[in-house]
Amino acid sequence: MRAAWLLWSCAGLLMAAGPSGTPGAPWRENSEKSTLATGLPCVYQKDTNSPTTVVGLFAAGGKSAVPLGLDGLAYLTTRLTLEIPDEGMAQDLMSQATRLSLLCSEDFSAVLIECLSENLEEALRVTGKIIQDPLITGLRIGRTKEMMKLYGRSEEDESTVAAHNAVMKAFFPGAGYGTAVYGTEESLGAIDRKDAIAFYRRFFSKKGLFFYVATDLDRGPVRALLEKYFSRFPDGEDVSIPIVSPALPAVRDIALTRDSKQTYVGRACLLPAPDAPNQAKGYLLETLLGKGPGSRLWGLRMAEKLAYNVDAHVTWTKSSGILEAYLETENAKSARASEALERTLADLQDKGIPDEELRTTKTMAKAQLLRSAEAKASRLRTVGLYEVLGLGHDHLSGIFEAIDSVTLEDMNAYIRAALAPERSLRVTVGPSRAGQTNR
Amino acid sequence: MRSYLTVTAGLLAGVMSAALLLAVGPENPGKYFVLENGMRVFLYEKRDLPLLHVVTGFDVGSKNETDGTSGLVHLLEHCILFRGTSVRSGAEVSADIRRHGAYFNGNTGQDISAFEISLPSEHAEFALRNQKNILFGLDLSQPELDEEKEVLLEEYNQMEDDPQRNAVDLVLQALFPGHPYGRSVYGRREVIRAATAGEVLGFYRKYFVADNCALAVVGDFATADMERLVRDVFGLLPKTGLRLEPLPMTVPLKKSVSQRFERDVREGYVFLGFVAPDYNHADQYAMNVLAEVLGRGVNPLLPALLRGERDSVQTVSMSYLAFRFGGAALVSIKMDPKDMATIQRAAVGYLKRAHNEAYSKKDFTGEAEIFAFDYLESAKNQIRFAVGQAEESGLQLAGSLARHLLLNTRDKPGRYLDEIGRVDSSDLRKTAARYLGKGEYVAVSIVPRKGEKQ
Repeated sequence: MRAAWLLWSCAGLLMAAGPSGTPGAPWRENSEKSTLATGLPCVYQKDTNSPTTVVGLFAAGGKSAVPLGLDGLAYLTTRLTLEIPDEGMAQDLMSQATRLSLLCSEDFSAVLIECLSENLEEALRVTGKIIQDPLITGLRIGRTKEMMKLYGRSEEDESTVAAHNAVMKAFFPGAGYGTAVYGTEESLGAIDRKDAIAFYRRFFSKKGLFFYVATDLDRGPVRALLEKYFSRFPDGEDVSIPIVSPALPAVRDIALTRDSKQTYVGRACLLPAPDAPNQAKGYLLETLLGKGPGSRLWGLRMAEKLAYNVDAHVTWTKSSGILEAYLETENAKSARASEALERTLADLQDKGIPDEELRTTKTMAKAQLLRSAEAKASRLRTVGLYEVLGLGHDHLSGIFEAIDSVTLEDMNAYIRAALAPERSLRVTVGPSRAGQTNR
Repeated sequence: MRSYLTVTAGLLAGVMSAALLLAVGPENPGKYFVLENGMRVFLYEKRDLPLLHVVTGFDVGSKNETDGTSGLVHLLEHCILFRGTSVRSGAEVSADIRRHGAYFNGNTGQDISAFEISLPSEHAEFALRNQKNILFGLDLSQPELDEEKEVLLEEYNQMEDDPQRNAVDLVLQALFPGHPYGRSVYGRREVIRAATAGEVLGFYRKYFVADNCALAVVGDFATADMERLVRDVFGLLPKTGLRLEPLPMTVPLKKSVSQRFERDVREGYVFLGFVAPDYNHADQYAMNVLAEVLGRGVNPLLPALLRGERDSVQTVSMSYLAFRFGGAALVSIKMDPKDMATIQRAAVGYLKRAHNEAYSKKDFTGEAEIFAFDYLESAKNQIRFAVGQAEESGLQLAGSLARHLLLNTRDKPGRYLDEIGRVDSSDLRKTAARYLGKGEYVAVSIVPRKGEKQ
């Protein structure tokens, strides 16, 4: 009976591989990039799925632009651009349900404006004013720092986040990518008003900014609004930041103490810088290891019953990718889980994958991409990242082609290099064991 | 409970489920029909991307358990997803899922168990046949069950390490004492450990039948083709005649409850719970708007008040969970642990007085009307925005449709956004008085262990 079902299933696959094939560029409306009359680049994508608009203003200053000892500066400065000084103005936005938020990532910071499309002009009028003329005062800086301390502390209550932060700090010690996004007690104490003003002046200029807009509105009116309300950014100086490569620390084991019921057990590996082929391979490796039933790590859950949560995730920077593969297991099983994870990764590195598994992983990876970019706000994050990494906004379509182009030999060579134990870190977060360091 | 992703939001975002179905406009009304075996079906075309989203819901949740079976529905959900059928092993199901590029998951709640699959639309037939096979063809041996129990107990541990998921579960247990909603959806460890395959399959055979099921399909398809496929795949399932007796409605809490738990956390967490209207109650619309006004919108009243009280308040949010036989209004606050007592007092005090608030410009006269902020209008816009966002996600839309098909008991519930549009300031005050002002409440706080460094 089982064999019969499989036959049917394979027949379905064969039929599915007919003329429609795998979509190369699945978007009904592809994104277009142009330069506004103000000199700012703008990526526009029409999406009539809902009567809402998302606008992202991306600045080149992310964590990579944070100097030594000033952890949190990128977040703090970007947050200050969203302070609304005028109560009436704030009330207008609130009553229209316009949402302002921010992202502070490895290579960029972004201000996000989300609104009902009918209110876009008012949203841009207010945000244009506050972002181009932010009130960077001692009082506001002080208040924002207090908020950041709280955010930083609550990150420690999640093992996966605490592990990720520790990994980034280990690979990128000192300034830049390894800094804490919300800062530390010491770094926040060290940041003063002139640091925030300097950061703002450097990165919120024409040389360091671009827009991404996903909306049901037509391109012309949207461009006109952006030109009308965001016309005052200065030309600015060079915003390029030296690209810092990750360094392997002398100590390859990170152990954080947390008195939890489960222990996080993970391995962090270095991936090559994300040009289109390497980004596709990194994405395939992430999908191969994690992302649900049938993945390599899934066996640790299903067959070995070691965990509920198993997954893999890549953080991309301009210089590299950082792959984290992990599971969260009952404390008593942590040694066994660590051994099983190492075994799974070693087996994959040693033997590589067969052709069928590559085909399956490609299908899964492309479908995952479609799902993750279905909603406007999540698509904005992906397009913004591709643009900042130099892959371009159209990589949202191009990545499908890049995935299809990966050969079995390429992929296995990539896996062998990526999972080399001598280029990776082991991470645990859980109850203290002899020899562990405290967080 | 999500079966392989940690999703706290699932518990905290029940508020929009009715919204989605009823927000569907006349230009794309979808198609509703009932198969001869009683299965309810809703098809909705969303053709912007070549994706298909299928959610199959069953009218069985922790509400159908007893103390002796608490946790079996959740255990069943895991087994159905991952332990195979009479024609495929669990590993074969997983491999098939992956081969078709599918996201595959399930969740168990108080009322409903839901199973979802989302994949490229070219694999529509696989999606429906796969779901039929796993949902109506479970074959479970004792060793397979025992394996899945270990995974489930890991989820239990994870939930207890997550202050938010843990607190929501505890609030709901304390809010509905003596009612089936007062049982944890995660169940009891000892029941899970002792469960036998025979017991689990008995439960399964009773509830996992076509006439206790709703199917929602959203995505890139032509409705007529999809209807033919649905009838072909599910039409021959037998009708069992299952009739579930309605449960009693939840009753107001007689006395407030306060619970405090120590964990290895850096922040302090307070969760407040009030009994709220059920899914079909006329007050649900006002309760939705009230939750937006007080704790969900761009600048809701409660966070503003609490942050004015103490700078250390990090996040405040309010959500409304509408169940079939009751509801819960939940407030969650994250803050510096040293300020918890003050903040909890301020929050409860404010909620108890919320029926005195002026929510709309129309509550004022003369010059005051010009300067007053219209919280009511703002909340309505928030809901319109949230509905718009939800329309972008096919899986979320399908989940809401399946839920609505199972929970709705009204003949003509009306279009959701129209009902929201009719809510006025006086409705908000009446609702606040009825559910927050007079009602007792549950407070659960999770604090750092004594002696731990802040």
